[in-house]
Amino acid sequence: MKHILSPTVIEDLSAIATKLHDRKSTRYLLWSFAINLILAPVVYAATGGTISREQSYALGILGIVTVALSLYLFLVIFQPEKF
Amino acid sequence: MTSIPRSQRKHTPKAKSKGMLARAIKQSFVKLDPRIAIKNPVMFLVWIGTIITALMTIDPNIFGTVVGRDVRLFNGLICGILFATVLFANFAEAFAEGRGKAQADALRATKSDTSARKVLADGSISEISSTSLRKGDIVKVIAGDMIPADGEVTSGEAAVDESAITGESAPVLKQPGTDIASSVTGGTRILSDELLIRVTADPGKGFIDRMISLVEGADRSKTPNEIALTVLLAVLTQVFLIVIATLSPVANYAKTPVSIAVLVALLVALIPTTIGGLLSAIGIAGMDRVAQFNVIATSGRAVEACGDINTLVLDKTGTITLGNRLAEEFIPIGSHDLASVAQIALNSSVFDETPEGKSIVLLAHKLGAVDQVDQTTAAGIEFSARTRMSGTDVDGIEIRKGAVDAVKGFVRSRRGQIPLDLDQAYERVSRLGGTPLAVCQGDDIYGVIYLKDIIKPGIRERFDQMRQMGIRTVMLTGDNRITASVIAAEAGVDDFIAEATPEDKIEVIRAEQALGKLVAMTGDGTNDAPALAQANVGVAMNSGTQAAKEAANMVDLDSDPTKLIDIVTIGKQLLITRGALTTFSIANDVAKYFAILPAIFASAGIGSLNVMGLASAQSAILSALIYNALIIPALIPLALKGVKFRPLSAEQLLQRNIFIYGLGGVIAPFIAIKAIDLLVAAVGLA
Repeated sequence: MKHILSPTVIEDLSAIATKLHDRKSTRYLLWSFAINLILAPVVYAATGGTISREQSYALGILGIVTVALSLYLFLVIFQPEKF
Repeated sequence: MTSIPRSQRKHTPKAKSKGMLARAIKQSFVKLDPRIAIKNPVMFLVWIGTIITALMTIDPNIFGTVVGRDVRLFNGLICGILFATVLFANFAEAFAEGRGKAQADALRATKSDTSARKVLADGSISEISSTSLRKGDIVKVIAGDMIPADGEVTSGEAAVDESAITGESAPVLKQPGTDIASSVTGGTRILSDELLIRVTADPGKGFIDRMISLVEGADRSKTPNEIALTVLLAVLTQVFLIVIATLSPVANYAKTPVSIAVLVALLVALIPTTIGGLLSAIGIAGMDRVAQFNVIATSGRAVEACGDINTLVLDKTGTITLGNRLAEEFIPIGSHDLASVAQIALNSSVFDETPEGKSIVLLAHKLGAVDQVDQTTAAGIEFSARTRMSGTDVDGIEIRKGAVDAVKGFVRSRRGQIPLDLDQAYERVSRLGGTPLAVCQGDDIYGVIYLKDIIKPGIRERFDQMRQMGIRTVMLTGDNRITASVIAAEAGVDDFIAEATPEDKIEVIRAEQALGKLVAMTGDGTNDAPALAQANVGVAMNSGTQAAKEAANMVDLDSDPTKLIDIVTIGKQLLITRGALTTFSIANDVAKYFAILPAIFASAGIGSLNVMGLASAQSAILSALIYNALIIPALIPLALKGVKFRPLSAEQLLQRNIFIYGLGGVIAPFIAIKAIDLLVAAVGLA
């Protein structure tokens, strides 16, 4: 463990983390996973246990992607010059 | 060296088409980068759909348990078809861009870092790199040199080969002092003698640099029509996304559960992928068509604006009539005879270097006039738009020729009398459609010169076409009202403005724009620059001044004013093509709807809507998607070449579009999807 977490590896990891932190998309991804932690159990409960926990998480993410796409399309409609 | 016909001219060296296909294929994959893909909302949705179906190919039960035979194969096929759809759309755009890039590469090849002879303040010459030159520097170029930067000739006279930018092999004479012949372009080559040039553009900001960035599409931004269409496509996509996202619960209620892969397929089939995939290719191809015509547009907006033009403001000389008016006849007036008119006409024209002036000299010589003016002691008076006269001052005697009114005013100011038969001669020439020029010596008017104007062949037919398209043509001329009305009637223009000054151009444009019309005009002189800037489409001649070129939004490399009519045609063609393919794309939805929905919900009692009798639900989905993908590459040639242009009014064009591309767009997919379905069923894919 000591060998794996050598100072250079820690430096590299912190550099990657800083870079990812600077990226908006990374933050959005993190937020969507976080929201899915609430959403997935709701989906699971709503289906009455006919789907597995993994499937409920996948469906939750699909729902978030659909909403994100809809928001993106609204953005295109209202600010088309940006695209 | 002979002049090549305009239709055959191309930029030299020619853009290389070799490797263009391979580059476009490579770029199709590069454009899968989400940062690029996100710019096209319709195809971005297809790309996301590809990823979702790819996940469902790996694990068919990822979003819930799916029952059925060969689910993984079915999902894999959908994924493959969607991926192909995205690639085809990327290819269309990349191929259109590739043509512009190839042209830019060819231009870049002409632009090499040359050495320049910079003239220093003390008059000595220093050899430096052309990239070190700055605006205001003076350079010396001699025969065989490449002109190192854009500039104005300050001294010398030389023949310059401008074929690198115009494709015209005939050399052009460059000399200082004239608006037109004094401007030189970096990258062109001096063939004889030497010139001193004042640099007018910093490195990287010259004419060829601007051309490169324009044809390459570096400055390309969406045009207003493209933006409007993007919004329409995004709205349609949004509507279908909401419909599809809410379809699953409805399907479950109807006891016909639908898998996510099928929903994605249905969404892609319903959104307008055809026009979504071809939209940018159509715009780029429009720019390219203009460039192929040896016209450089500053933006796609300018090309598109051409398609919306309502009024064309055209100069008579060079556009409607052949540029060179020739002296046809001398008409003596008062007590003067033909020989004396010829002699005075000759004396007034010895310094006149224009084709008209030279033709007067030629006719006078033919009639026996002899050279009497000693050019070393005499002074030439240049023509100006204000005086509308030119002539010669010799030993205190003023000899003038010019517009009849101007010469009348000149003679009156010298307390001379106006002969009674002057107006008769003036009217006679005017009614023949010619330009009458009065000639006088001091306070005595000798006669009238008849300058014959020749209307360009075929111009009347072009104006008839313009009228059919609802475009109004206005002719501007410095000629008198009678001459202008005769030429206008012969050429078939809708309106004319006689005795026009350069200021009148801008007034005409403003008046038309105040009526909500879009106006196009051409110009080449510095005094045209404000009007070129005011016009919605201003086309400057390449032979024109730097000011005119900077004010215009297009530059015609062949310096042919008639080309404005062709540019308007290209603009119209661009809009017609976009409209036709949009109609076709949306009309396609009807057939795709009838192909997929009845097949999916057959068990819910709408099987009777399966009018095409498709083999199965899976086969229907695959057939509709395959058609959806293949129609994009099938329409690439039409998108690049443009729909054939016909001079029709907006209503006629709309009717034609609805009939061919609307009705055709409904019928064609019914036939194609049925044929693909038979094939899919035959090979046992579904």
